[in-house]
Amino acid sequence: MPVTYLTHAASLQRYDTGASCPAILDGIWTLIADRSLLSVDTKARFADQILPYLQDAYNLARSLTGNRADAEDVVQEACLRAYRSLDRVTISNARAWMLTIVHNTAYTWLAKNRPRAIVAVSDLEAIERATAGPDRPAGETPEASLIAKADAAQLDAAIAELPPQFRETLVLRDVQGLDYKEIATITGVPIGTVMSRLARARERLAAVLRRDVP
Amino acid sequence: MIKSPSTQDDIVLLNAYLDDELDAAAALAMERRLAADPALAAERDRIEALRTALRERLPREAPSPELRARIERAVGIRPARPTLFGPTLFRPTWGTLAASIAATAIVASLVTSHVVAPNITEPTPRAEAGAVLSSHVRALMAPQPTDVASSDRHTVKPWFNGRLPQAPRVVNLDASGFPLAGGRIDVIDGNPAPTLVYKRRQHVISLIAVAAPDRGDTSSSRDAQAGYNMVRWTDHGVAYWAISDLNATELEEFARLFRVTAADG
Repeated sequence: MPVTYLTHAASLQRYDTGASCPAILDGIWTLIADRSLLSVDTKARFADQILPYLQDAYNLARSLTGNRADAEDVVQEACLRAYRSLDRVTISNARAWMLTIVHNTAYTWLAKNRPRAIVAVSDLEAIERATAGPDRPAGETPEASLIAKADAAQLDAAIAELPPQFRETLVLRDVQGLDYKEIATITGVPIGTVMSRLARARERLAAVLRRDVP
Repeated sequence: MIKSPSTQDDIVLLNAYLDDELDAAAALAMERRLAADPALAAERDRIEALRTALRERLPREAPSPELRARIERAVGIRPARPTLFGPTLFRPTWGTLAASIAATAIVASLVTSHVVAPNITEPTPRAEAGAVLSSHVRALMAPQPTDVASSDRHTVKPWFNGRLPQAPRVVNLDASGFPLAGGRIDVIDGNPAPTLVYKRRQHVISLIAVAAPDRGDTSSSRDAQAGYNMVRWTDHGVAYWAISDLNATELEEFARLFRVTAADG
């Protein structure tokens, strides 16, 4: 990795110079080297660790904002936030870290631009109770085959009807393929909440498709 | 609100079961319930159908190409066209110029030591890990992570035969939930290396085989770089690297299955 060589080499160079220079020159040199090192290293880390996940970041942002332009603004804002804190963190799972930032950025955006889209969690449960209703079909309805017939547009429309918290959980699991633990970290809720949101989201999706697919 | 005998908790557990998130004991209990309860089994079919529909038919939307350039501008990375040597990340400053001189010196000394003492400069696992990571990430960015896309090992293996002196072992792990997706050729440390691509749910696993005739067999060891998990081991003079964004436990399981199956075949 050329970048690792560069930063390593630059620090060697700095110490070499320091040994043979008057103290004041040494101080200036250290200052220059440190500043350029910091930005080179951060930019390289950003390119290495964050940019590979643009597509993941976009998928999540798109699921929360509901359209391309706003999703791209959220991703850009999230990337800037990531860049600014990159110096201060050690990252073990860059993808989950980036998605956490996208999640937080998107919720800030939602609170400002779509305040009614975010429902409090307690209200969510109430909505669920009201909409789940007693219309659960008996055992062997041919729903599986009906769901299998749903086309792209019907799936997209059905997902759009979910509340953001459910939509996000479903997209992270069924589109992005993350595991429950990662989803719990990203969305900042206990794993039990991830499980129930996912079950509810799929249930609601199946119900909407039952209504819409002829 | 839900007909007995399934409760909402059962449905939640069923979802977790289908997502491979239950431990062995809970999974066994769920399998027994499914066998005994047709209503629950119908629910399983619904969830399966939904997951398949989402996976196969939901349109994947890519961000516009300008987004990346916009972000690179915003953080001050000069947007560069990808070149053979990767994007140019910064403008040279005195510090970086000095650094590059020092880097040149280091590279030169490495080359010299290679000439002088060829035995001690075998590529370190660390350097090789970097090349493996780059190959995997590059493959994920391409429209296809494979050059030959097939789940049939009798298609994938002959494809390598025509291109490399020695084709890799290709095994079928479909039954264990790691379907073969195809193969490609990566270049590791200047040498072409056959790469098999497997899938686990949505995760892509690259299995890169690097010829290492001088290295003895090793047990598998685990590593992580830039958010990707890696498992490496050496068998019969070939160093294998499995890399994926899959969790480390399942990736190790994949490595174990591959070794066992390859040894049998």
